[in-house]
Amino acid sequence: MKLDDPRVIKWLWAAGLLVLAVIIGLDWLIHHHAHFPRDGITIDTLPEFFPFFGFASCFLMVLVSKALGIALSRKDTFYDDQ
Amino acid sequence: MTINDIPPGVVLLVAAAILPFVSGKARWVVALAAPIIAMADGWVAISDAWAADAAGSARYISQWQFMGLTLRPVFVHAPTAVFATIFCLMVAGGSLYALNQNRRFELAAAMVYAGGALGCVFSGDLISLFVFWEIMTLGSTTILWCARTEGSYRAGLRYFALHAVGGVLLLAGIALHVGQLVGQGHPDPLAFTHYSQMVEGWTSFGWHNAGLWLMLVGMLVNAGAPPFSAWIGDAYPEATESGTVFLSAFTTKTAVFTLMVAFAGVEVLVYLGLWMAVYGIIYAILENDMRRILAYSIVNQVGFMLVGIGVGTKLSIDGAAAHAFAHIVYKALLMMSAGSVLYATGRRKCTQLGGLYRTMPITMWCGIIGALAISSFPLTSGFTTKSMILTGITEQAGAMAIAGQSHDHLIAAWFILEAASAGVFLHAGIKFPWFVFFNKDSGLRPADPPWNMRAAMILFAGLCLMLGMFPGPLYAILPYAAEAADYANVIYNFEYLLSMLALLLFSGLAFFVLLPLLKRSETLTLDTDWLYRRFFPRLWKDVLMPIVRGLEAAQKVVLENLPGKPLSGEPRSPLARLGTEWAVSVPVFVISAMLLIYLLMYFVILPNG
Repeated sequence: MKLDDPRVIKWLWAAGLLVLAVIIGLDWLIHHHAHFPRDGITIDTLPEFFPFFGFASCFLMVLVSKALGIALSRKDTFYDDQ
Repeated sequence: MTINDIPPGVVLLVAAAILPFVSGKARWVVALAAPIIAMADGWVAISDAWAADAAGSARYISQWQFMGLTLRPVFVHAPTAVFATIFCLMVAGGSLYALNQNRRFELAAAMVYAGGALGCVFSGDLISLFVFWEIMTLGSTTILWCARTEGSYRAGLRYFALHAVGGVLLLAGIALHVGQLVGQGHPDPLAFTHYSQMVEGWTSFGWHNAGLWLMLVGMLVNAGAPPFSAWIGDAYPEATESGTVFLSAFTTKTAVFTLMVAFAGVEVLVYLGLWMAVYGIIYAILENDMRRILAYSIVNQVGFMLVGIGVGTKLSIDGAAAHAFAHIVYKALLMMSAGSVLYATGRRKCTQLGGLYRTMPITMWCGIIGALAISSFPLTSGFTTKSMILTGITEQAGAMAIAGQSHDHLIAAWFILEAASAGVFLHAGIKFPWFVFFNKDSGLRPADPPWNMRAAMILFAGLCLMLGMFPGPLYAILPYAAEAADYANVIYNFEYLLSMLALLLFSGLAFFVLLPLLKRSETLTLDTDWLYRRFFPRLWKDVLMPIVRGLEAAQKVVLENLPGKPLSGEPRSPLARLGTEWAVSVPVFVISAMLLIYLLMYFVILPNG
């Protein structure tokens, strides 16, 4: 593999974005079934719910962990002096 | 006594007794033959049990009478087949991976550990369960100590202390529960079985179910449930590269098995599981040690299983069991991949690694396959097993809606686990391979590890893909095979495939968009282990100890003013011997011997006489 070559990296990004675009396109076209039809929850039947939910939940989890890290992170030698 | 009376776990314990004393080819033969023999022994019992079920006769049990107790060390529970199979496979794969290292006791300790786990899986009574449970703790602690570093020594002590506490809770629970049943005149008080009273009464804390609660907590310690999740991240990365592979497999999954047998449907497991699924991700995102990232993701994955057990329907239990099977394979594979990197470079921090794809292609590809499997990517093992838990949740929610029961917690569980599925791809699926094999060039150019380590990785990588493409054989040995077979017909449908791919790939997009935020730093993250690693030691050293020291002066004053003379130096009368110091050991020995004689008289001599 020639991952050191910036052209290869560019090509990989392009291929990746293309795959994401195809998924967005397909997600518009197909019909999503509700997971909790008897509870009137329809948000998971909206087009692009899963792409959005995957991105947003990861975004949120990274932010939460960064915020938690401010309070709970220590140098990794923290326990070494016992 | 027939082969049916030999607990499969004992086969591995025998191998453990032999292993330290053999070397060369004999060591290979013992290490690889033991899991095969144990598997065969286990499957004889399982097929007998299934045959008995089919014939409608009483289920196969090997029953031993011991000191008036009815022990069943070879018993087949509904999930025994799936757990026994994967445990034996894991011993074989782990041994293959470990055989080139020359630490004398590690492989033997691993056999003790796995033997304990396998023993639990075949335990039909609470005494056998507890004995094998503790054997597991001894084996795993020894594995940790085999790394022979200061870090592993201390981590091993903490690990042992915590699991000893867990074991005591389990034992206390067993004693209380069995005592109550004996008091009620129950015909089979020792049976290790499903405690259905906990399903309805999980919110009620009372004396009548205190024993069961203690047992539940004891099992949850081993499962890594909050507030005991910290031990997994604390201990596992301190073992050797092959030691961690074994450790990742048995303790938590044995706990999953026992929870599945005893406490399926207990709602609190849903909440604990959800917490673990999210906790694992948050902590793994912050982590720098590559194997600690993977250790946190064990907590995350066991969380999924606990939710499945807590929901407690046939499909969700099948899902939890299948996911445990798949999880052991891909987690061992990931630990093998990380272990190979450690073996080749001696480094464990993401900040010191990177760019290894150039010279370790097999380790990289196997790591990537494991990473895709843990992320439940289509065509890998995670996809065909985790989805079963999620479908189990939606089906149960539908059933409860029809019955008019409240099921909001199931709806919340589904959304949280979907988010956690995306998060798995983020923290384990991409983060681990990215920072170890790609990212910046660390300048290291190590080669792939020796052939046996490569072979073990390739074997397990193949298994990950096989389970993803042909889940049929796994589904056939699940606790509720009929439900699983129905499920096999619907799993690969276009809508679900697309939803899963969308969820995962956009989680991947989030990783690369947020890459600046995910840059590694040389930090650790405080957890509940801070209490016993820092707070209590400091409390003793800086607060309690000075108080005790302060009292010392007062004690001296009192002692010096006591009437009487010192005994030494006095002329000795015959009676003065009573006033001198005695060694404690002699009376202790005499008392123990008397107790033993009493015990033998009571149980052996008296009934026959």
